Amino acid sequence: MAASVRFQIHPSSGVPIYRQIIDQVHALVAGGKLRPGDLLPSVRTVARAADVNPMTVSKAYSQLESAGVVERVRGQGMRVLAPADRPAPKRRRAEFRDLLAAALHRGRQLGLDDDQIQAEVDDLLAAHDAATAEQTANR
Amino acid sequence: MPTPVYIAAGLKKSFSGNPFAQNYVLRGIDLTVQQGAVVGLLGQNGSGKSTLLKCSLGLLRPSAGQVTVLDEDGWDLSAEAKSRIGYVPQEVVSYPWMLARQVIEYTAAFYPRWNQPLVDELCRRWRLPLEERVAALSTGQLQTLGIVLALGHEPELLILDEPVASLDPVARRQFLRTLLEIVADRRRTVIFSTHITSDLERVATRVAMLRDGVIGLDGEMDELKDRVKRLHLAAAAPLPKDLAVPGALAVEIDGAEASITLANFDSSIVDQLRVAWNADVTVQDLNLEEMFIAVHEHCGGAAPSVANANNVKSAESDDSRNVPEIDCP
Repeated sequence: MAASVRFQIHPSSGVPIYRQIIDQVHALVAGGKLRPGDLLPSVRTVARAADVNPMTVSKAYSQLESAGVVERVRGQGMRVLAPADRPAPKRRRAEFRDLLAAALHRGRQLGLDDDQIQAEVDDLLAAHDAATAEQTANR
Repeated sequence: MPTPVYIAAGLKKSFSGNPFAQNYVLRGIDLTVQQGAVVGLLGQNGSGKSTLLKCSLGLLRPSAGQVTVLDEDGWDLSAEAKSRIGYVPQEVVSYPWMLARQVIEYTAAFYPRWNQPLVDELCRRWRLPLEERVAALSTGQLQTLGIVLALGHEPELLILDEPVASLDPVARRQFLRTLLEIVADRRRTVIFSTHITSDLERVATRVAMLRDGVIGLDGEMDELKDRVKRLHLAAAAPLPKDLAVPGALAVEIDGAEASITLANFDSSIVDQLRVAWNADVTVQDLNLEEMFIAVHEHCGGAAPSVANANNVKSAESDDSRNVPEIDCP
C-alpha cells in the first residue's frame, strides 16, 4: 500500500530538513494519515519534489528506521510499522519534559503551589483522554 | 570512512611583496573535505573565498601552508588530476570571437573523457544560445557556459566560485537541481562559495564560514542547525550587564530581557538559566543566514566581553566531530 504523503519541507527553516521529515512522519502516523504497512515516498521522490539533497532525506529515513517507526523492505522502500512494534524512545519523554519545565516555571511565576499545578495537569489529562475517546468512537 | 579529496593545512596568503608589511587575506586555513561532501563556503565580500579556491587549484601560490587535492599538491597538479577537477571562476573568461558551440568543442578537445550528450542536455535545459558569439553573451549566459564547460568531463571534484551570482532565480534553481543530480551518486565532491544561504540549505551537507582569514564556523549543515540556537530570556528582575554564558556566540542584554546565541545548544543550559535568573526561556532555531549574521556581528568590533567564543562548552556526548568549531579571532 503506497501512501500519497507529501512532506512540507522548508529548507530555510532553523529546523534541519531531516528533522522536519522525522517530525512530519511522527505526526502523520499519530494522525492516522500514515498507517502500518504504508510505504513512505522514495528518497528520490522527496528530494526531487523539494529540491533538496537526497542525503538529508535518507538520513531522516535511517533515523526513523532505527527508532522503529518504519522498516526497510528490500525492493519496496520504507514501510510504516504498527505502533506496537515501536520501542518508546527516551527522546520523546525528554522532549515532553522540556515542554513541561517551561510550563511549571510559568506556574510558579503565577504563584501556583504544587497542588494547584498537579490539579491542572490531572484535569488536562482527563479532558484530553475524553476528547481522544470521543474521536475514536466517532470514526 | 570516505577518503579526503581536499585538505588545506595552515594555508596563508598575502598579496604584499613586503615581508614586513604582510597583510594576510588567508591567515591559516585548515579544512578537510571528504569524498561525497557538498561544502558551502560562506563569507563576506573580501573574506578570501576566491583566494582560497584559487590557492587550492594552483592559480595562486600560497604564502605558507599547503593544499592537497586528490592526493596531489595543489600548486603542482598533474594533468591527470586536473582532468578530474572542474572549476568555475567567479568571472568566466572565454574567447569573445568564438561561438558558444565552438568554445565547447575547443574545451572538449582537451579532455579524453567528455560527455557530449550531458553537455547537449545542459545547453538545452539552460537555453544556451550555441550559435551566439561569446562576446554577445549576457553575464548570466557566460556563467552558464562556464558551468557547462566545468561539467562536461564529469569531474570528481567540482569547485565553484559563486556559480549562481549572475543567474536569475529560475536559472539558479535549475542549476541547483543539476548539482543535486551530480552529487546523487555520492562519489562526487563539490566545494562552492556563495552568498545565497538558502541555496546552501538545499544542497550543502557541510558549511564553512570564512572570517578574518580563518574558518570561523565549520560543521555539518544539520549539525549546525541542531546546535546553534538562540535563547530568549525574560527574567523577573534586571539581568547583570556581564551575564556570562559558557559557549555563547553573542549575548545581548536589555534590562530583564536577554538574547543569547549558543554555538552548542544543550537543554541543561536552559534549565540552569531558568532557575538562576527566575526567567522564562524560549529557544529559537536559527537558519543559516541568522547564524552567519550572529557569527559576523559578534566577532566584529562590538563583541561583548562576556561571550567567550573560544571556550565552547562541549556537549554531553564526547564526540568531538559533532561539535562545531567556533573560533572568533
